[in-house]
Amino acid sequence: MGQNKQHIALEGKGLTLGYFHQKSKKEILSDLDFQLFSGELTCLLGPNGVGKSTLIKAILGQIKPWKGEILIETQSIENLGVEELAKRISVVLTDPVFPGNMTVGQLVALGRTPHTGWSGKLNSTDREIVEKALSDTKITYLRNERLSEISDGQRQKAMIARALAQDGKLMILDEPTAHLDLVNRFEIMELLRDIAAQKGKAVLVVTHDLDIAIETADRFWLLNCGTPLISGKPEDLIISGKINLLLPGEKYRFSVERGKLESEIQDLRFEISGPKELVFWTRKAIQKAGISEVKSPILVEKDPFSISLGEKKFDSIDGLIFYLKIQIDPIK
Amino acid sequence: MNTKRYLFPIAFLLLGLSFLLNLSLGSVWIPFGEIVSGLFSSDWSKASWEQIILNYRLPKALVAICAGIGLSLSGLQMQTFFRNPLAGPFVLGISSGAGLGVAILMLAGSAFGFVLSGVNSWAIAFAGVLGAGLVLSAVSLVAWKVKDSMTLLIVGLMFGSAVSAVISVLSYFSGAEALKLFTVWSMGSLGALGWSQVGILGMLILIGCIPVFGSIKSYNALLLGEAYAKSMGIRTEKMRWLMIGSTGILAGGITAFCGPIAFIGIAVPHLARIVWKSSDHRILFPASALIGAILLLLCDAAGQLPGFASTLPINAVTSLVGAPIVIGLIMKRNFSRDF
Repeated sequence: MGQNKQHIALEGKGLTLGYFHQKSKKEILSDLDFQLFSGELTCLLGPNGVGKSTLIKAILGQIKPWKGEILIETQSIENLGVEELAKRISVVLTDPVFPGNMTVGQLVALGRTPHTGWSGKLNSTDREIVEKALSDTKITYLRNERLSEISDGQRQKAMIARALAQDGKLMILDEPTAHLDLVNRFEIMELLRDIAAQKGKAVLVVTHDLDIAIETADRFWLLNCGTPLISGKPEDLIISGKINLLLPGEKYRFSVERGKLESEIQDLRFEISGPKELVFWTRKAIQKAGISEVKSPILVEKDPFSISLGEKKFDSIDGLIFYLKIQIDPIK
Repeated sequence: MNTKRYLFPIAFLLLGLSFLLNLSLGSVWIPFGEIVSGLFSSDWSKASWEQIILNYRLPKALVAICAGIGLSLSGLQMQTFFRNPLAGPFVLGISSGAGLGVAILMLAGSAFGFVLSGVNSWAIAFAGVLGAGLVLSAVSLVAWKVKDSMTLLIVGLMFGSAVSAVISVLSYFSGAEALKLFTVWSMGSLGALGWSQVGILGMLILIGCIPVFGSIKSYNALLLGEAYAKSMGIRTEKMRWLMIGSTGILAGGITAFCGPIAFIGIAVPHLARIVWKSSDHRILFPASALIGAILLLLCDAAGQLPGFASTLPINAVTSLVGAPIVIGLIMKRNFSRDF
């Protein structure tokens, strides 16, 4: 509350969305209210099938809301034409469609499509914006590479550069890190946060990468079946426990101490002592092995690493688990 | 980059050469110099050469250029619009439609036991345009209902098959003479047209090209798929109508006047992509038009058997000459990656 000084780039008011399937109506999202702020990286999180893609489609003007409206800077998107909308919102989609013959430079130049004349010829301003988009995403060196000859991570950066060259106030990305390795995921998300902060754009990212989203996002939107959209700083949502709304059932829980998702710890009957991080990993391994009871106390030591169980000593967790399993079920 | 700059001048030069080659080849060999001086200063050393060139070979060469341009441009539009390297000008059932029109004109009489008088080239062209237009309208009706371009592609193919089946039925019941006539038509011919028909064909090609030039930007955006194109402010629904209209006029008109001509429409856009190494339609449209015209001129020249008065049917030549070239080029490069 009380943060209304921030500039609202996109606003949803009482939004109800759904599909007509043959003759039956299927309501997907009902009565949503949301605000997307300029200069912030917002992550939209929610389980599969909750209606994230539907919401994105509505924001892109591809489906009409049943009720309520979406405003871009106080203008309803229904009153904006396709061309006008394209000047305000750019997207990066999940499906990797790309022509192999095209170079990175040509791809980024396509981002200027809504701003150019009938033949798509770039003027000097357009070329400057394309250059800037390439350098902002740090892929200027890739300009003349063909899309078929660069890595998935580079290609995704090129797609982001294209969206940047489209130069709208809003950028929407649908799972931009889905096919990427860990380092590339971080890089892409940090790039997006920088874009939001430095260019004052409102960036909305649909993602399932909770860990990386917590590290990089300025704001979370949590979408869950039958609840209103919850918006807030990731840290606030973690402390208040609202983040657990993402997790149906009792099996998983968000660990406030470790900042990540964990299996709900069952009733464990064993004692481990020693340095904190060693205890954590040893406990984790024992738990994963399905062992819930160890008779004697376990002592873990650092430098050199060793585990003592009664008189037994082990130099690796592997050894300990092997021993414990034999104790429980000697036939194996 | 440097070699790229010379590609268009080279292509224009090749076009000129193949045009001259096309004019000079035939049952009588006419030297290049004679043709040039004859065309520019009406100075012919033999009156028969003037007759041959002006009344037979020149209209045929112009038809080859028109058909080459038209078929290549409609093929390129189809391939980009449907994001499918196998799409060609006839995937929406246009050639089958024209075939149906002509088949009804030529075969129905003999099949149902009455005689249609006046089977001349005008009537054939008219029937072809009518048939192509009919099938195209049916496909358009579907296009109006379906949102997805892949569905449209499949519906077009199905229409084509259904129409071909009707032609088969007509062929089955028709007499031998009519059947021979229809078979000859279906092999395609560039040389059967007089000057007035060449004029009309040229007009149709010009009209069909207008929507192409109007939507170069949209075709470039479509390279990223329909969803991205929409997000960049392209009205894909409007484009679909322009595409259907343009290919209908181009491919429909050509099929009506010359009969079906295979291979050019599918292969030429790929050749243009390979030669120019580009997917930018500002380059691909003129490049495809040039290659299409050159290739059809050469195919027609290749069909002129030396020493014989007759020519091979153009539809057979395009496939015989063209298919090995394209297979060779494709085997060398990773084709689907370049698309």
